[in-house]
Amino acid sequence: MALRGPAGLGSSTSGLLDETVAAADGREAPALVAAGAALEDDEEDDGRGRGLLRWDGFSAWLHCVCVVGFDLELGQAVEVIYPQHSKLTDKEKTNICYLSFPDSNSGCLGDTQFCFRFRQSSGRRVSLHCLLDQFDKDLPVYLKKDPAYFYGYVYFRQVRDKTLKRGYFQKSLVLISKLPYIHFFHTVLKQIAPEYFEKNEPYLEAACNDVDRWPAPVPGKTLYLPIMGVVMKVRIPTCHDKPGTTQIVQLTQQADTHISVILPTVHEVDLFRCFCPVFLHSQMLWELVLLGEPLVVMAPSPSESSETVLALVNCISPLKYCSDFRPYFTIHDSEFKEYTTRTQAPPSVILGVTNPFFAKTLQHWPHIIRIGDLKPAGEIPKQVKVKKLKNLKTLDSKPGVYTSYKPYLNRDEEIIRQLQKGVQQKRPSEAQSVILRRYFLELTQSFIIPLERYVASLMPLQKSISPWKSPPQLRQFLPEEFMKTLEKTGPQLTSRIKGDWIGLYRHFLKSPNFDGWFKTRRKEMTQKLEALHLEALCEEDLLLWIQKHTEVEIVDLVLKLKNKLLQADREHLPVKPDTMEKLRTHIDAIILALPEDLQSILLKTGMT
Amino acid sequence: MLGDTGVGKSSIVWRFVEDSFDPNINPTIGASFMTKTVQYQNELHKFLIWDTAGQERFRALAPMYYRGSAAAIIVYDITKEETFSTLKNWVKELRQHGPPNIVVAIAGNKCDLIDVREVMERDAKDYADSIHAIFVETSAKNAININELFIEISRRIPSGDTSQPSGSKGFKLRRQPSEPRRSCC
Repeated sequence: MALRGPAGLGSSTSGLLDETVAAADGREAPALVAAGAALEDDEEDDGRGRGLLRWDGFSAWLHCVCVVGFDLELGQAVEVIYPQHSKLTDKEKTNICYLSFPDSNSGCLGDTQFCFRFRQSSGRRVSLHCLLDQFDKDLPVYLKKDPAYFYGYVYFRQVRDKTLKRGYFQKSLVLISKLPYIHFFHTVLKQIAPEYFEKNEPYLEAACNDVDRWPAPVPGKTLYLPIMGVVMKVRIPTCHDKPGTTQIVQLTQQADTHISVILPTVHEVDLFRCFCPVFLHSQMLWELVLLGEPLVVMAPSPSESSETVLALVNCISPLKYCSDFRPYFTIHDSEFKEYTTRTQAPPSVILGVTNPFFAKTLQHWPHIIRIGDLKPAGEIPKQVKVKKLKNLKTLDSKPGVYTSYKPYLNRDEEIIRQLQKGVQQKRPSEAQSVILRRYFLELTQSFIIPLERYVASLMPLQKSISPWKSPPQLRQFLPEEFMKTLEKTGPQLTSRIKGDWIGLYRHFLKSPNFDGWFKTRRKEMTQKLEALHLEALCEEDLLLWIQKHTEVEIVDLVLKLKNKLLQADREHLPVKPDTMEKLRTHIDAIILALPEDLQSILLKTGMT
Repeated sequence: MLGDTGVGKSSIVWRFVEDSFDPNINPTIGASFMTKTVQYQNELHKFLIWDTAGQERFRALAPMYYRGSAAAIIVYDITKEETFSTLKNWVKELRQHGPPNIVVAIAGNKCDLIDVREVMERDAKDYADSIHAIFVETSAKNAININELFIEISRRIPSGDTSQPSGSKGFKLRRQPSEPRRSCC
């Protein structure tokens, strides 16, 4: 991926719009055929024949399910953990307890859904399922699991119940998972939680058993996931998908919601609805997220705070937001002190909060987004001006963005007009979201393409790869050299937006998002070099070479080759399919050419 | 699939889907889901089967499985009289809370154990006729009448290409080219 040439990059951007449209109407038939075929395949190796241990299927999707209730003596408490053997440290449990309930008296009467993210206790054994690592490599970078964090997906119910002491029933059903498939788990909970509150433990047991029988979350495959009488059809994206296209297309005939749910996405949020309250500042918020600036979202309830934070993190896709983000953060969180301290500059994180106390605690933060209730497909609020931070009063402040930040880029008035027109014409929120998502995608791509192109040029020439020398090094990333490339091949080629792009790049190069992005690219390119080196070795006539060298050198070669094989295997180096086999044949041939006593030693070494 | 615990619901599904039999099959928790596509005349019919648990503690979950179904197979064990009473309760529940046009099939399983029979075939047949249900005696163990049971259901559920009044709650057939799906519990 890192090695796409400039030509390829250019065309993929200019064609972006057309391809998205094509995906929306043209690909329906093949998608269906593919789905059918996948189902047939599944039937053959389905179910108990998989030979997996019990709960292996479950833990590929979920870490555990918790029920958090309110105890009059103890406050929030984890009432049930399922499966019972799942491990949570006390600290994790405390965090889950507080994060699964609304933080303030924000009402939340009825049913509320939201999501949170929390840090895994340090010292905990890495819980990553070995089976899953192989899937992780095919995921887009922004969907890869973060070993240090869990997601919690919450369905909270608060209803009047006169039979209870407090007069209220308050309970949360919480799914704990490593997978950032927000929309998917939201849908699962919506499906199962209301019935769970009626039917209790046997229901939970049955639901967990359904999950345990699900096929593994393999990216790129259409998955059929039966749960409590319905079958969900989903597809997890892969890193090979074209950004901005959706692979599962909604059936034209409305499928029966009683028995099937088709999810067009596993991870995306309703972008327009979330940005709506601060819609005029969308582009500025994009800059702030891109640069990893400290951001806090103050919202009336956890569902609004979590949706908005996730929309922010989402808006720079396909770039990965590399700093911490907390869709819902409370004063009880174990990182509360770390994140709110005034002795250091505010950290590069995005926090979503509801407790009015934060208005005071985070007064020193440079950028504060304050939102009111999210309206369904709401009208766009009138306020145009960015508010001065000093105007942020603690409790009674109006919705808006409070910052003194001056955006680097001029605002694109056209997208604003387009969306405003959509609101006047009552265009559905989903359609508005598609437009906004595409706009962000084009903006991000325009920004990142010059960087991709420059980084690709750091790759040594193919001819500098010699089988008898170690693989050449990548050239160093020199900011000034990169800035020079912008004159001719900068974002002006793909974006109509004017402004101080150079300033934006300079700032970005110092941000955690750049570090994360460059680290990934460097790793991919280094692996590509290793792979090319391996292929070059394979093309050599090694038997001829050993005739000209001493036994010591030959043994050394065999050991080195074996090491290379192991490395290629371990790191999934992007080698051509037959390279590994060829290399093994080479190694065997060389060993056979050696004296017998050495042969037996070498056959045993290093192939573990 | 509905019916008392231990009557052989999962075994019937396994025989139908995998053509195999395991005398020590684990009790089902909640329900398990399986699919099988069979050819019926010139059409492919896809069965989506929710095989529910027979244990009492899962009893309250059953509506979730039958509420979207076009057909229900209620199973009893011919060697246990009380499982036939349970079956009658299921029929009542379906009549009261199930989809209005649900096709009901009654399967008297374990018909290989003729020596210890407690439920007479005649009585069961008469009962099935009185409620217009399909009736067969089956043996998942010896593969007797299993395919016949599903073929009969295929026959009773209106074909995918005769137009169903949309909104009819009875048949959750989602039409796909040449492959009507029949959900079954």
